[in-house]
Amino acid sequence: MPRRLPETQVALLEAASATDARTVEQLADELGEPPQAVTRAALELEAEGLLAVEERADERVTLTDEGNGYVGSGLPERRLYDAAVEAGAEGSPVPLGDVIDASGIDGPAVDVALANFARKGFGEIDAGEVLVSDDPRVDPTEDPGAAALSAVEAGETDSLDEATLDRLEERGLVRRTSSTVRSVTVTDEGVTALMEGVETAETVGGITPELLTSGEWRDVEFTEYNVEADAETTYGGRKHVLRQTADRVKDVLVGMGFREMEGPHADAEFWINDCLFMPQDHPARTHWDQFALDVPPMQELPEDLVERVRSAHREGVGEDGDGYHSPWTEDVARGVDLRGHTTSLSMRYLSGHAVGDLEPPQRYFSVEKVYRNDTLDPTHLLEFFQIEGWVMAEELSVRDLMGTFTEFYRQFGITDLEFKPHYNPYTEPSFELFGTHPETGEIVEIGNSGIFREEVLRPLGVECDVMAWGLALERLLMLMYGFEDIRDVHGTLCDLDLLRTTEAVY
Amino acid sequence: MPVVDVDPDELRRLTGHDEKSDEELREDLFALGLEYEGRTEDGEFQLEFAPDRLDRLSVEGVARSLRYQYGDDRGVYVPNTNSAEWVVEVDESVPEERPYVTAAVVRGLDMSEAKLESLIQLQEKLHATMGRKRAKGAIGVHDLTMLKGRAARSAAGDTSGARSASSDDPRERAARSNGDGGSRAKTITYRGVEPEGDRFVPLESDTDMTPAEVLVDHPTGRTYAPIVEDYSRYPAIYDEIGLFSFPPVINGKRTEVDEGSRDLLIEMTGTDQWTIDRMLNIVCYALDARGGRIEEVRVEYPDRETVRPDLSTDRKSVTHERIESIMGIAIDPDEVLDLFERSGLDATTEESGDEELVYRADVPPYRVDVLHALDLVDDVGRAYGFNDLEPRYPDVSTVGGRHERSRLEDAARDALVGLGFEDLLDFHMISEIENYERMNLDSGGEAFGASEGVTITEPYSEDYTMLRTWALPSLAMVLERNTHRAYPQDLAEIGLAARREDDENTGVAEARHVAAVLARTDASYEDAKSRLAALCRAFGVDLETPATAHPSFIRGRVAEVVLDGESVGVVGELHPEVLVEHDLEVPVAAFEFRLDALGGG
Repeated sequence: MPRRLPETQVALLEAASATDARTVEQLADELGEPPQAVTRAALELEAEGLLAVEERADERVTLTDEGNGYVGSGLPERRLYDAAVEAGAEGSPVPLGDVIDASGIDGPAVDVALANFARKGFGEIDAGEVLVSDDPRVDPTEDPGAAALSAVEAGETDSLDEATLDRLEERGLVRRTSSTVRSVTVTDEGVTALMEGVETAETVGGITPELLTSGEWRDVEFTEYNVEADAETTYGGRKHVLRQTADRVKDVLVGMGFREMEGPHADAEFWINDCLFMPQDHPARTHWDQFALDVPPMQELPEDLVERVRSAHREGVGEDGDGYHSPWTEDVARGVDLRGHTTSLSMRYLSGHAVGDLEPPQRYFSVEKVYRNDTLDPTHLLEFFQIEGWVMAEELSVRDLMGTFTEFYRQFGITDLEFKPHYNPYTEPSFELFGTHPETGEIVEIGNSGIFREEVLRPLGVECDVMAWGLALERLLMLMYGFEDIRDVHGTLCDLDLLRTTEAVY
Repeated sequence: MPVVDVDPDELRRLTGHDEKSDEELREDLFALGLEYEGRTEDGEFQLEFAPDRLDRLSVEGVARSLRYQYGDDRGVYVPNTNSAEWVVEVDESVPEERPYVTAAVVRGLDMSEAKLESLIQLQEKLHATMGRKRAKGAIGVHDLTMLKGRAARSAAGDTSGARSASSDDPRERAARSNGDGGSRAKTITYRGVEPEGDRFVPLESDTDMTPAEVLVDHPTGRTYAPIVEDYSRYPAIYDEIGLFSFPPVINGKRTEVDEGSRDLLIEMTGTDQWTIDRMLNIVCYALDARGGRIEEVRVEYPDRETVRPDLSTDRKSVTHERIESIMGIAIDPDEVLDLFERSGLDATTEESGDEELVYRADVPPYRVDVLHALDLVDDVGRAYGFNDLEPRYPDVSTVGGRHERSRLEDAARDALVGLGFEDLLDFHMISEIENYERMNLDSGGEAFGASEGVTITEPYSEDYTMLRTWALPSLAMVLERNTHRAYPQDLAEIGLAARREDDENTGVAEARHVAAVLARTDASYEDAKSRLAALCRAFGVDLETPATAHPSFIRGRVAEVVLDGESVGVVGELHPEVLVEHDLEVPVAAFEFRLDALGGG
């Protein structure tokens, strides 16, 4: 049965000789195929055992463009010499400028000429004048360099000595390349195959239903692709990196037993600030920090809760507790703002107004947007995501707080958490959390935490302990991904290319 | 948060710890909760701290806290005070908006430049914090020798006022007139002045002005004018010579303090007596640390009389059990007493009725942050060193879970990403121009997205003046911003949109919207609808697309998105008007609808 081989292989096998080694180049020329295709066919036939392929290294010397130019007009130092002799520089110096003009060399060739003129001892150049050498050993007409260039052009490189070639290569006049030359001969097995007959196998561009159902696919060869070539860029759908980070955080928190909270972005100052025991004249409650909305005051607030909160602000909580020496009015409490933190959700949940009264133990979280009237810059946005979480239990200590947050941050590779005693109006004790940036090694603030004050909890009707913490999701994102300008990522100024090419972090 | 500049050399001098290196000082300060932010040009530490310990707003206060930390000082310290010679009389004419005043005299100061700077800084920082930018409390510091007290109505017997002066030096002259007769009260008056009333020469000026002129012509006057400009009478303080202070705006030049000043009158006016009294205490403690002798001042209101500064301590109680439960450790009561003393408090133990061990703690009068028992626990914990506590994971078991709304949002986002959309995250705040105008839309119309928006009272900039009523404008802005990036650009976002709604408790109706755009050379209505349909299939929701008109889309290529019979959105090809407006050179097919419609009720 005749052998089926791809077209190029058949042609090559038939063109090759069993006795004379022929180079791939010669054969490619003869077959009218690109040398790469013939080389590939030769190697495949070798693998089949039908051809023997012999390789040898071949060194070739060719002229560069500059070298080629000098073959016609002569080496520039030679032209300079000739012009100098013409100008009478044998015996007495003549001005260099005149000689250069007369030689007809210009541009970078002038420097080349002057350097080699001196190096080869053709003469001296001093104080702008040139004097040709009278040394009888110097004979520019017999310069081996010039002769070598002509030899290279003629393809007669075998006779040239290495030193001359090296020098010409250094001057960038010749280029030496080595390549592999493959010669092929038909093997005995190949001769047998040829005698038994070889046929060209059909090549097809792709699979068709007919090809598959008819079984013809068994007899075809598929057109080969250049599998190393670049493919078209596809981006595909992708979750936003900040969402991915939020998902990561949510996964971790759910794993730690936290339930997710949900609530309004626009809310009464009562829930945002008053419940948090923020005095109404607190600097952070001015329009400089929070966005007030141009809507009527909140219609309904739970009246008994309002009264208890007012009392906490004015009189304090507990036997010898003190309130603030700040004004407190319900009008201010009813003003509607964009929430400056999602602690407003915690207040709604703790008060029982979100999902009913809560009995300890409880853990709740949210990863949601908050709004601050801050300066827009590479690390600050007017709206960003806040991670908010709290734990409610009969008794909680600072050690529990430290243990919880140590565990949380460890999930993100931050293992050297530091707790700096801090002040918040709504927690006591309070701690700022610091950790080491995994990339830069600098100590950065990564959160704010504490145990809710009784002035917060008692009005809400909570009689046990609650500890809470918050941090900006964007801060965590920048730590994880090393972004420098958060505005490239979050918001309408984002750069699609950055979002498309950011490496996945998991 | 407040930042205070503190000279490390002064700190070493005031704490008596010359051996401390800058590095050691920085660590000790961090332990106090004072964060080192850098140095000033003069090499002073810039320290940032939370606004609870306002007694640390000066180098003197920081040094005092360090001395407690080092164990050099223990327990409550209250400076001695001399009895009152000066009286502040509060006249009936005082503006009702700013009725309160307090004052103290401090004598025997040796004001160097550094001390004066520290005093001025303390004054500024107190203004910025407790004083609420002077609205709630404002401090005036005066060279006492430049004041001429009126012989008071309450002064026993002696009614003589000024003696005839022979010297041309006003300070010497006034000093002579004040300096004799220890028992004789000298009175200054806090009262109201007509805006165009008495003239005086304010600080940093050479001409005399009326209070009204100060508010217009003096730079400091302009800064603080908003506090008083609605008052019918302005606050003013007078001595025998005349008006010398216009609180809370500016002092008169006559009583200006300089390095030669030795005796000071410190007065404060405000809207709350407690606040200005505490501010005064903080200043008195700082000047006491500089060797000043505090002298009381009698404050006579029309209906009552007080003596200031009030340096009495406050008493708070906390149980031993609470200290142990918050710190999470067992601790010896003697150690707790020691920790109180190291915090600058004095405490005694007491067994209460039910045999519970209770601490009664005296809190010094410069503290403004101790409102509750928990604040005492915090002091004890800081003195103990919170960072020495061993973290432990709480033995509390709860079940975690996601909110249904966020699960729905996530599932929809996953479906969009599966359809090849790049998920985006844009701001909820936008401008009217972007939300309506550049989308070829009029505010308040019937079209999807045209509802009345919620505006922000005082926006950060003209780019963020309202909450977006729909999300497609944000996606159009992203397309506009990324025309140099490779196409196709298939973008989607699930995010908040909001509109005015009187029926809502907040007046704001909030909803999550699903929005998507397909920007590519061959984008068509069909591309958008086929993806929308795929999304609806994934959630088992029935999709209908009756034709509609919408100014953001091409007529005849736009439809309502009706899900399970409810109209919840729009799908179509964006109008060339919108494309050109956003510098787009490819067609864009788009859809947007309310996320809750996928939830299927």
